[in-house]
Amino acid sequence: MAPSGDDFTARLMDDMDPVLLDFVKTKVNSFIKWDLVRFFYENPHTADTVENIAKYAGRNVTAVEPELEDLVESGIMEKRLLDSTPIYSLATDDEMRALVDKFILACEDRHFRVKAVYHIIRGMR
Amino acid sequence: MNIERVTTGIKGLDGMLGGGFLRDTANLVEGAPGTGKTTLGMQFIYNGIVQANEPGLIITFEEFPKQYYRDAAAFGWDFYDLEKKGLLKIIMTSPEVSRMDIESVGGMIETYIAQMGARRVVVDSMTHFGRLTEDAIELRGIEFNFINALKREGLTSILTRESPVLLGEAPQDDNLGFVVDSYLMLRYVEIESAIRKALLVLKMRGSDHAKDIRQFDVTEHGFEVQSKFEGQEGILSGSPRRMADSFVEAFIKSK
Repeated sequence: MAPSGDDFTARLMDDMDPVLLDFVKTKVNSFIKWDLVRFFYENPHTADTVENIAKYAGRNVTAVEPELEDLVESGIMEKRLLDSTPIYSLATDDEMRALVDKFILACEDRHFRVKAVYHIIRGMR
Repeated sequence: MNIERVTTGIKGLDGMLGGGFLRDTANLVEGAPGTGKTTLGMQFIYNGIVQANEPGLIITFEEFPKQYYRDAAAFGWDFYDLEKKGLLKIIMTSPEVSRMDIESVGGMIETYIAQMGARRVVVDSMTHFGRLTEDAIELRGIEFNFINALKREGLTSILTRESPVLLGEAPQDDNLGFVVDSYLMLRYVEIESAIRKALLVLKMRGSDHAKDIRQFDVTEHGFEVQSKFEGQEGILSGSPRRMADSFVEAFIKSK
């Protein structure tokens, strides 16, 4: 039986480095997370509250907070408490930093970006 | 007694400072937007690393680090490379977080300083501390604590502050001016329908310093201090007059 259009597209889009495919499917699985990861890649020693990070990202706090929490959960970001205020920063783990670098560098390729966007939209359904 | 100096490496500036800033001091650089405060700060850090082997930090409260990397590259200073070598860190944070962090034990800033052996810091800009409180006395206390924490860590600092006016003397609620060890003012000056820039070392605790007002410019090499303004007075008003004109006004027209 011939594959359906959806299956064919999925196979085409799965033609990614498996490490990055997993990164997009399980870690950077929303556009806000993508923006945040890019922001922290470009400004790697940023450490701030969710309110200020939301300002830096030009988004509202309610949208950013759960995404930051997910990024902490997946090990991309770190959270620590200063006087009981949560402060977020990029993980210092070398392996995770290398993975973030790899993702951002891969994003310079238009084909990769199209595939990543496809997976994010698919994951949102 | 031999006083240890921290040279800025900026042409003309160290001479005005009697050889450089004093070690472990807080030094305020105040000026209107575009006068060159951040460039002066970046150059202080860059020269510290490449000329004096003193790693440095830049703590920014508004401008994104990626803008520093880009602006520094325009002067030929590779901040990316210095960060990779562990000689520089550009930290983006807020006054409230930096304050809590540096006052805590084993905070992020303290850890970076220890790891890098940092000796210099630029805080850009102190103006943002004003959003922590509207109470002038409380603000002075916060700024005093923050500056003391930088000194505790053995850092010589440049603290920038925005001036609210483009030309002329700026009215400031000047608590910070009292707390810091030295105070440099950068001003725009209008002379013969052209804008020039003026630098004055207003105060330098524990050291002699130049008292004249110098011209400066930000060139492709960075911040460069030039000669003093000759034959002009009222420079800090933003609209100086030729001294002969003011003489005529004062002694002849008044007769």
